Amino acid sequence: MSTVTLYSVSYDIASLILHILGFIIPPANAALTNGNVVTGLAVLVFGVILLAASMLNTILLIWWERKLLGRIMDRRGAMHVGYAGLLQNFADGFKLFRKTTVQPREADALGFFSGPTAYLVTSFLLFGILPISSGWNSGILPLSLLLALAIFSFAPLFIFVSAWSSNNKYSLMGGMRSAAQMIAYEVPLLLAVVAVVIVAGSFDLTTIVYEQQNYWFWGPLFVALIVFVAGMLAEMERIPFDLPEAEAELVEGWNTEYGGMLFAFFMLADYLRALVGSILVVLLFLGGWTMPSWVPGALTTFPLAGIFWFMAKTYIVFGVFVWVRASLPRVRTDQLLRVGWNRLLPLSLLAVFLAATLVTVKCVWPFGCLPSMGT
Amino acid sequence: MATPDSAEEKPRENPVLWVARPMATAARQFAKSLFRPSTIIYPYERLEDPKFRDRVEVASGKPFGVGRVWDNYRGVHSLNIATCISCNLCAFSCPDICIDMVTVAGGDPKHPKKCPQIDYGKCSYCGFCSDACPEGCLTMTTRYELSTPKRSEMIYSPEKLNAVFHSKLPMNPIRLARPDNEDSILLDPPLCIGCNACARDCPTGCITMLDIPKPEAKPGEKLPRRIWKEPVVNDSDCVRCGTCISVCPKECLFWGTRK
Repeated sequence: MSTVTLYSVSYDIASLILHILGFIIPPANAALTNGNVVTGLAVLVFGVILLAASMLNTILLIWWERKLLGRIMDRRGAMHVGYAGLLQNFADGFKLFRKTTVQPREADALGFFSGPTAYLVTSFLLFGILPISSGWNSGILPLSLLLALAIFSFAPLFIFVSAWSSNNKYSLMGGMRSAAQMIAYEVPLLLAVVAVVIVAGSFDLTTIVYEQQNYWFWGPLFVALIVFVAGMLAEMERIPFDLPEAEAELVEGWNTEYGGMLFAFFMLADYLRALVGSILVVLLFLGGWTMPSWVPGALTTFPLAGIFWFMAKTYIVFGVFVWVRASLPRVRTDQLLRVGWNRLLPLSLLAVFLAATLVTVKCVWPFGCLPSMGT
Repeated sequence: MATPDSAEEKPRENPVLWVARPMATAARQFAKSLFRPSTIIYPYERLEDPKFRDRVEVASGKPFGVGRVWDNYRGVHSLNIATCISCNLCAFSCPDICIDMVTVAGGDPKHPKKCPQIDYGKCSYCGFCSDACPEGCLTMTTRYELSTPKRSEMIYSPEKLNAVFHSKLPMNPIRLARPDNEDSILLDPPLCIGCNACARDCPTGCITMLDIPKPEAKPGEKLPRRIWKEPVVNDSDCVRCGTCISVCPKECLFWGTRK
């Protein structure tokens, strides 16, 4: 086995740590180098690496949004802390970290504190599922797409829990809207995913990426892409679908009562989910870490090229989300529901139909043939 | 059948345009400001930098010298202590009461020279003081950067204002459209006691005390106890500061038109 996966790297790190420990404390050597202990520590290291990588990317994503939004609004974003303001978000995070957490007197403590925590934890959980490059975690989960979307759909529950236990009418309204939005957008979103699954023939994200080696799915499944992006915007609660935290109507939506670190949890989880949404778009429609064959080999074979191209695509997709945010106003609740049920649902059904047609005819001009069926 | 409401309703356009049009606008703006947003990064760049000259001149249509702000800008004051006559007119005219007359070095020990000290925490930059200054020694400059971490540093002593004068900043000799005071200082002779206070405090020295004949006392009449002198004001030298009126112990001086 020569492929380096993230798990093999963390296993190596874990066994190295344990061997050094065993060298320092000789009596515990046998216990420490036991296979189960190494595996346990390897999983922990795996989690820590993912946590660090996702945290770093989330914070970079916030920076990317601030800079991009600034340029679209004819101004500069953060620019003082660090090079071009790269460290501004670390400073903001540190400020929030230092602040007191205020709990409203009438709030339900259990829900008030467990809501944001669970929201953040489930968002982090997604990163163990998504493959970032070919050797990331291939073959671990045959139903990883389904699992990712299932975990993604947890969020409104925790939002509603924290909104309810805040004991504030604005929070509660935000939570209600979040639930309504989820119901309106989950169906077209999943149908768009179904279109991709029909063409790829698998729920495994790694397989879906490898099925896109002849052409990326965004071309023939453009309708599904539109539905998926619209649904993702609603799932991520970003403008124009940020009704749950509409700051013009509800003070700050469901996180009105939260401040300090708990607010930072919400903020972080929001951007984590934005990152996951962009990653899913890249995985399902933009060929993941693969590049088209006309790209020169030197650009696709350097070390970590897969991760580089994957993150580049992710940031471009998130840039499109920012572009949408800078352009469009927030929709009303009735408009949101109408768009969800009246427009996106028929469109997603059309996407499923197109996908079925694509699988039936196998080859379609000008994209080419599907890899598993053409040969 | 058209109801008033439906008559005002605009024809429905394609909903795709509702999304496409604003997104095109945002993309256009992004392309425009990709390399150089309109922001002037203030502490590092200034509006009066030559590279922004076109932008400012087009926007304002006013003359705009390279390396400086508008000529009629009202910024920090500059004070020429050498020509200041301590007439107090700046402090009188200040609507914010931010000018104090404080003693400066180099005056006569009996009558110390007093010059304005300005508290920029209160100043509203109206320019009345500069307008009132008869000698033109208190003017306003184009300096506008006053931020400081200490409130006490907002108070500019006469020496500090004098340093602004010597820094050769462009001056703005303010002449607001206010008519000059054409009145003169008049005297109510029976009240005067000839105490010399007005002549002593006159900043321009235009008041001289002239001897007046001591009247003969009629029998049974008591002459007032006074010095037999009376102030005479030289109107051409007078700057109409009113110091004499305010120092007069008997309130015998007043504004009026000389016959």
